[in-house]
Amino acid sequence: MGKLARALLFGLVGAGLVHIAVVLLVPYYSDRNAWSRISAYGNAWQFHPVAREGAPGTRPLALDPLFQAAACRFDITDLPAHITGVGTTPYWSISIYTRQGENIYSINDRTAIADQLDLVVATPLQMIELNKTKPAAAENSVLIEAEIEEGFVVVRSFVPDDSWKLQVDSFLKSTSCTPLL
Amino acid sequence: MLRNVFLALIALIIAFGGGTLSAWYAVSRFDGFGALSIGQWTAHPEAGTPYSDPYAKARAAREGAFPLGSTEGLAFYAYNDDRGEALDRQCSYKVEGNSPNSRFWTLYAADRSLTALSPGMERLPAMHSRQILRKEDGAFIVNVSPKARPGNWLATTGNGRMVLVMTLYDTPVGSNSGLVDMTFPTVTRISCDG
Repeated sequence: MGKLARALLFGLVGAGLVHIAVVLLVPYYSDRNAWSRISAYGNAWQFHPVAREGAPGTRPLALDPLFQAAACRFDITDLPAHITGVGTTPYWSISIYTRQGENIYSINDRTAIADQLDLVVATPLQMIELNKTKPAAAENSVLIEAEIEEGFVVVRSFVPDDSWKLQVDSFLKSTSCTPLL
Repeated sequence: MLRNVFLALIALIIAFGGGTLSAWYAVSRFDGFGALSIGQWTAHPEAGTPYSDPYAKARAAREGAFPLGSTEGLAFYAYNDDRGEALDRQCSYKVEGNSPNSRFWTLYAADRSLTALSPGMERLPAMHSRQILRKEDGAFIVNVSPKARPGNWLATTGNGRMVLVMTLYDTPVGSNSGLVDMTFPTVTRISCDG
């Protein structure tokens, strides 16, 4: 009887260890994370419209039905990323995510400079260079320091009703995401 | 001898079976710690940030979601009505009261995987604060029902459980300053005859 109890106890302790290991390993081995969802849209350094339906077998994206979004993935190992957009919409916001899908920085139209979407994502080393000599293209940009290599940005805009659709579409089409030379 | 092997096998089966199953269950069903509950509404201000707990991280990695950042907004979910019963798509509900501070909010009905229901027939899938009718004191009533209702009507469709999602945009609610008025509307069941 004592041996059975001991076996059960070992089993439970082992179950705890396996449980912790699985939970901690899921983010590294998942092929259904936000990064793979956005990679499926197309090339890096380019904004793609965010689709609610994903690839077969994945969960649809829980995106507000009154919102439209565009996403761009980038790699700032060599050059900082410059993200811009032109246009007026009732509300827009932008988030910067790490490759693991963690939101590290977000900004909305009221907190941006002059309501314009213009920001630069740079690594700490690139930031030192940017502070020494700021390129003319990034004169009015919001500078964001991020200790990442690969990451992605998502721009979201509110579409209160269908009459705003064209304007929001043209804003999202105007967004660009390029390496800052 | 054989008994020892048998016991070791039991221990191994419990360890791997139980560990994997409980991890799978936790990752697919458990929303993570750090929930912010106000009345019937629940939000996860830390979801999708580097501060979220391992369960929330594992879940996010499997859903492929990219949640709103802190300056963008915060989504609140209501799963139950005032009597504690799960929200049903066939029933009619009344969402009544005031909303917390925010620039604007949207309200929609979603299935359990939080995908918005599409009622079809050119009905609006969501309401927002700039479109609804309000009472003299600024409070509002949104009727959530599969059948047409006067006033603010949020159409639902289909069978089974649903979740009401109220997303506050540009809001200080998640920031925990304690200075924010946390008034949320109540979700009351009116009838359940379809």
